[in-house]
Amino acid sequence: MQHDNIAIEVTDLRKEFKVSLSGKGFLGKLQALFHRSNKVITAVNDIDFKIRRGEFVGYVGENGAGKSTTIKMLTGILVPTSGTAAVNGIVPYKDRKKNAAKIGVVFGQRTQLWWDLPVRESFDLLRVIFRVSRSDFDRQMEKLEKALGLRPLLEMPVRKLSLGQRMRCDIAAALIHNPPVLFLDEPTIGLDVLAKQSVRNFLSEINRTVGTTIILTTHDMNDIEQLCKRLIILEEGKIMFDGETELLKQKFIHEKVIEVEFYENDCVMQEISGVTVVREQGCKKWLTFDKDNFGIGDVIGTIASQYKIKDISVKEPSVESIIRNIYDNRIKLSTPSNKSFTK
Amino acid sequence: MKPELFFKFVSISFQKQVTYRFDCFVGIVNGFLYVFIFTSLWKALYSQFDTTVHNGFTLTAIVTYAVLVMAVRISFTMDDSIIYRKVMDGSIAMELVRPTSFFFMNLAENVGHSLFHTMARTFPIVIISLFLFDISIPFEPVRLLAFLFSFFAGYILISMLNFAAGLLAFWFVEIFPFMLFKYALFTFFSGGIVPIDFFPEFLKPVVNFLPFQYMLYFPTVILTGRVPLAEVHSIIISQLMWILIMGVICSLMWGAGKKKLVIQGG
Repeated sequence: MQHDNIAIEVTDLRKEFKVSLSGKGFLGKLQALFHRSNKVITAVNDIDFKIRRGEFVGYVGENGAGKSTTIKMLTGILVPTSGTAAVNGIVPYKDRKKNAAKIGVVFGQRTQLWWDLPVRESFDLLRVIFRVSRSDFDRQMEKLEKALGLRPLLEMPVRKLSLGQRMRCDIAAALIHNPPVLFLDEPTIGLDVLAKQSVRNFLSEINRTVGTTIILTTHDMNDIEQLCKRLIILEEGKIMFDGETELLKQKFIHEKVIEVEFYENDCVMQEISGVTVVREQGCKKWLTFDKDNFGIGDVIGTIASQYKIKDISVKEPSVESIIRNIYDNRIKLSTPSNKSFTK
Repeated sequence: MKPELFFKFVSISFQKQVTYRFDCFVGIVNGFLYVFIFTSLWKALYSQFDTTVHNGFTLTAIVTYAVLVMAVRISFTMDDSIIYRKVMDGSIAMELVRPTSFFFMNLAENVGHSLFHTMARTFPIVIISLFLFDISIPFEPVRLLAFLFSFFAGYILISMLNFAAGLLAFWFVEIFPFMLFKYALFTFFSGGIVPIDFFPEFLKPVVNFLPFQYMLYFPTVILTGRVPLAEVHSIIISQLMWILIMGVICSLMWGAGKKKLVIQGG
């Protein structure tokens, strides 16, 4: 049974690609002409997740982790090798057209606008494609024009737009039919800081006011931190983490970092139990400690009573550093809290 | 697909062609050159023999055929590399996320292309040829109607052929050499160079087994008057049957190809 509040449901979803291996150099290539060995690559490896209506989910992972492949299966472009997926209760790879009518898609490195047409004509064509009534279209366009600053761009041919301008138009294009689910595959790629912020503000607003379910893949952790309440981390086709972004932060917030700078004569620091020096640079030291066993005041107090401190600050790990650690396998997600903090 | 949308895509594709004016000019010259070469060849050939009728064609009939088959062929001009280029650069992904039929999108693009070539090349070439060569076309309204019907059926057939051939890119990605092979096969077996009547006996069963003759040869000979009006309906029925067969092939290939598709460039 499909629950009404479930926007996306994915079960045991798997996608394999066959890659043919050819030898190196001229002879190897020549040999490959007659005999070729194939290798099967599993891009998405039996993943499961459910996304409720109105969620804003970050879908992250390193290059080649299987993010885009998942999105392409959910948008009906690729057919999974096995497993099932449903978007709005529709199976995308079986009912591609029906599914397409109810989703919006932005692929950061591609455009769905017509290269030679002015932006306005592209939008009008999409209006016909998605069967949007003239009045709904006008209302939606007015909103999009204002929120994304499109007005000066409408008469320009798409090929003359800058990357940032094109991206804003592409986001608008994906929303012309006001879809309940929006897939964004690296929508902030190549945007400057201001453009990024305006895109983020807009996405957050439609998620909040219209209740659009948004799935966002990105390499920009600021996107995640500002937008996504939930995070799904993918590695080599498998889900490594699926939960609240805040939860991820709390889980790893044990590792608060204290940045201390000592005066010259106090540069050498004795070992303090429960505190680890993670980095040293002259008289500047970065210390971590176990938040569960030590209060931050205790640690600072201990240091301050023994040494003369020039400068001190406390830093929380950013989502970016957490994810970087996950990628680097420095943090084992299954056993995050049993770490020793003394050398 | 709604007709409104279909014609919008036809118009976009048409406008795209209009922008390449030099291309169009060269196309007219090129098309006319072909007509000139073929008619000259037939004249030279016929002058070598004492008999005036060969395989049922008088010199006037064969010149008429050469001009008209070229005219139909030019009208049928379509870009058969559209699908495989979209596969190669991955832009096919953006088309699949639209609630539109991929086949009809493709057909609309082809129709825009062909419409342009018909207006910009076929008409001028036919008009010039009418003045330069000895051409005889029987003017019977029923025949003209039958020709139009057969012409559109042939057009749909060739669109389907190109669609099916283009879908091979889902499996092999680079299929340009195959498309050249397909073009050669089509040009010869459709009667694009020599009418089917001139084919040696051993090739005739092969021709009858293939759909190509229904793309160019039959629409053309309906127009030239070589086919009696009483036989026209059986030709059109055969065309419709081939459309059905090609339709099944296309949809089977589409179903299987979707599973093979890989989006290039992420």
